[in-house]
Amino acid sequence: MVKYAKPDEFNTLELMAVCGSRQIKNGEVVFIGTGLPMIAALLAKRTHAPGARIVFEAGFIDSNAKDIALSIADSRLGWRASGAIGLLETLGLMLQGGHVDVGFVGAAQIDEYGNINTTYIGPFEKPTVRLPGSGGGNDIISSAKRIVVIMTHEKRKMVKKLDYLTSPGFLDGPGAREKVGLMGGGPSLVVTNLGQMDFDPKTKRMRLATVHPGVTSQQVVENSGFDLIVPKDMPTTDLPTCEELDLLRSIDPNGIYIPRKT
Amino acid sequence: MKTLVEAPIEDKRITLKEAVKLVPDGSHLFWGGFGFQRPPMAFAHELVRQKKRGLTIYTCGSEMDIDILSGAKVVSRYELAFYAIEGIGLVPNIQRRVREGSIEIEDYSNLAMVMRFLGGALGVPFMPLKSMLGTDMLAKKKFRAHKAEIMDCPFTGEKVVLVPSVRPDFSIIHAQRVDQEGNVQIDGIKGEDVEGARAGKKVIVMTEEIVDAEFIRSQPDQTIIPNIYVTHVVECPWGSHPMMVYNYYDYDMEHVRTYYDQCKTEEGWQKYCQDYITSVNSHNEFLQKIGMERLMKHKAKKPFPY
Repeated sequence: MVKYAKPDEFNTLELMAVCGSRQIKNGEVVFIGTGLPMIAALLAKRTHAPGARIVFEAGFIDSNAKDIALSIADSRLGWRASGAIGLLETLGLMLQGGHVDVGFVGAAQIDEYGNINTTYIGPFEKPTVRLPGSGGGNDIISSAKRIVVIMTHEKRKMVKKLDYLTSPGFLDGPGAREKVGLMGGGPSLVVTNLGQMDFDPKTKRMRLATVHPGVTSQQVVENSGFDLIVPKDMPTTDLPTCEELDLLRSIDPNGIYIPRKT
Repeated sequence: MKTLVEAPIEDKRITLKEAVKLVPDGSHLFWGGFGFQRPPMAFAHELVRQKKRGLTIYTCGSEMDIDILSGAKVVSRYELAFYAIEGIGLVPNIQRRVREGSIEIEDYSNLAMVMRFLGGALGVPFMPLKSMLGTDMLAKKKFRAHKAEIMDCPFTGEKVVLVPSVRPDFSIIHAQRVDQEGNVQIDGIKGEDVEGARAGKKVIVMTEEIVDAEFIRSQPDQTIIPNIYVTHVVECPWGSHPMMVYNYYDYDMEHVRTYYDQCKTEEGWQKYCQDYITSVNSHNEFLQKIGMERLMKHKAKKPFPY
């Protein structure tokens, strides 16, 4: 029988990594960066999806890294990888060529249609902060079949209007992606420290799907800068299993991306 | 049967100082390496020492190397997709220079930049792709008159984005092994260096090791960039330190973190620049300053490539 952890036995980042991991199906091609998504993908490979192939945009393909990488170009990702090629291969031939099932991305700002900003905070002409930019983020969200967004849930990040639209969610609603010529399926899930959100199939607006243990729907609404769709019956996020937690801690033993619960 | 006459082996080797001297102020550069992997760090240092100004840099994603070039006001414009010091935070000097208005950035996606290099290398004026559609990367621009255009495909009617090809004055890359004729071997990921190197009007390749021409010719399938493209070769061991070179050495995160913390202020950056770049005369002196013992700690430990 599967043994689930008690709510006081894990921290929020661990729960978020587990949520991300569960979005990966066995045999899928997964496009990820470093940080929490990398931990999530490595966990999936050690549990329900051993046949998932992890691709990093810098060129490492089907990585089986044993040490935690700090950069997507980190030599650590070369350990027992099946290929070490380059960006034209990963972002062009593989991703735009239609071979990537699910991509993981982060966001500095996201709006109700899942559009993402990773470029500027403040006005374009005179920004207060210049963020890292698209990198491969725009390419991934444009062309992967599904997208999982992992980010922290704050009012200033879940905004009505983005300061800059770096990567396309559902743009301004149903049919908009198709109209501008985008190929990929768009965002399918947003995982935050408060819960998980999917997108209403009819309006393409973000909809609360589960709340994490101890979090209320009201708290999620209060931390969102746009009108989140909130169904009446709100399930709690499935708890991590004890096995998942043990594996997570062995993947990141020094707590580089998931500091230990104190 | 008549035997082939052995062609004399051309020697393209020059010093780092000589190579950087070839780059006039205001030049446009493709900047090689990707993320923490194989950045031309020693070239960046020498550009700072020789007080180059007004450069435009084209790259996909670069980190501490271009932050140094920004701090020292060597570069005034970037066309790129990404910069940060991954695992640590935003690049401190670029942040400051953007706020001051001394640096302008035209941003594209990574695939868009790769396609721009591929277009330049192929000798065609633009390339189509399926990214950037519906975004502010298409709608907004900083300094380019033409940044990207949408087009209906004349064959299928499908919408594509066209991005302008790039033919920079110089392509600067750092590789693991090169022979004196300029045949290049790269271990591990290639990032966008395959296309970027071929896009440059002149190509300067820094290398960890100079290998014998016979070594290259004993394994021609390993040549990533044939010497036909390469103008100059610069022998430069530890040329990416404190970042990493696959199969050769790991990053020195303690150094990188110190850099990051120190560069949060202009004074801190000036001190770093003085301590590690301008007060030394050459890359070798920089390495001496770091110390052989410390460098050896980061040497790759086989069978791991780091």
